[in-house]
Amino acid sequence: MQSEQEQKFLADFEQNQNIVHKVCRIYTTNQHAHNDLFQEITIQLWKNYSKFRGEAKFSTWMYRVALNTAISLYRKSTRRIKTQDIEDFAYKIKGEDYDDTQELQLKSLYAAIRKMGDIDKALIFLYLEDKPYKEIAVTLGISEVNARVKMNRAKDKLKKILNP
Amino acid sequence: MDVLDNYKKAWDNQPEETEKVSKIDIYKMAHSRSSSIVKWIFIIGVLEFILLASFSLLFDDTNVLKEYKKIGIPGFYKLINIFSFLIILYFLVKFYLNYKAISVVDSTKVLMQKILKTRKTVRNYVIVNLIFAAISIIILVSAEINFKIDTLTTTQMWVTIGASILVTGFFLGLMYGLYQLLYGILLRKLNRNYKELSKLAELN
Repeated sequence: MQSEQEQKFLADFEQNQNIVHKVCRIYTTNQHAHNDLFQEITIQLWKNYSKFRGEAKFSTWMYRVALNTAISLYRKSTRRIKTQDIEDFAYKIKGEDYDDTQELQLKSLYAAIRKMGDIDKALIFLYLEDKPYKEIAVTLGISEVNARVKMNRAKDKLKKILNP
Repeated sequence: MDVLDNYKKAWDNQPEETEKVSKIDIYKMAHSRSSSIVKWIFIIGVLEFILLASFSLLFDDTNVLKEYKKIGIPGFYKLINIFSFLIILYFLVKFYLNYKAISVVDSTKVLMQKILKTRKTVRNYVIVNLIFAAISIIILVSAEINFKIDTLTTTQMWVTIGASILVTGFFLGLMYGLYQLLYGILLRKLNRNYKELSKLAELN
């Protein structure tokens, strides 16, 4: 029997699960690891749901827990990843009305982000998701000035990977 | 126009994940077991406490006690035991409190700080134990020498001292090395990320 709180959690999570999928896509390189990280994030979200009192949006809170889990709690599997895995993995997000150029761009964007360090990944992800600097700074625990400096560097790095 | 703008558009327009996870699966996942690094630190930490504590409990100490009596420091033995117990109690409480304070809801930097602090508690416990073992050995050897001082030649005395220092140093070094290796592997990623975030704070 599920409690009211649990039902609310499941509904909120189901609605916002795309955030977690995106985090899993940038921090893992194959389906197995994706599912593994997805599960760990789910565990952490549920474990801490009682601490979520609705002062922030559920999705804002979700960003933080998902990123923290990916950066600090998740232990990457050391298993060597075959190129085939990456190919298969990229992409099942094929939308019917998503045009080819954009699909290619998205693929190279994901591939480029995956080459970055864990902190840079988080910065770029939050930028792509249109998060304000204030929120980025609070999420990572750094000052807003630092967030800006670091973001510019991360963007430069990303550009270099995309257009060497 | 910025190079990234096009990519950003592609990102914004990306379709939703096709393999959506159902509520039932979310429910199942939420109730499954975590395999996070924090859990590993907790398990390994507890194992270390158990291992080190059981050494003193399982160790047949009748002979040691006899030896202490023979060399004239029987009270020292009791003191060591009480002291060890207090040390383990202090570190266990500290370890537990640090562990409980870890929260994934904190900011990334604070979360990493707390994880590293929890690990440091165990490391300090190990260091204190190693120092403690070294002191006990030194006292034991000095008492032993003191006891036999009349029968030992100067050379024999120095050889005994030298050999005990070497053997003790070797084992303590080995234990510490293994320990560093274990946590080094486990926390390599965390340390690297933490350094990166801290380096950032020093910029301004």
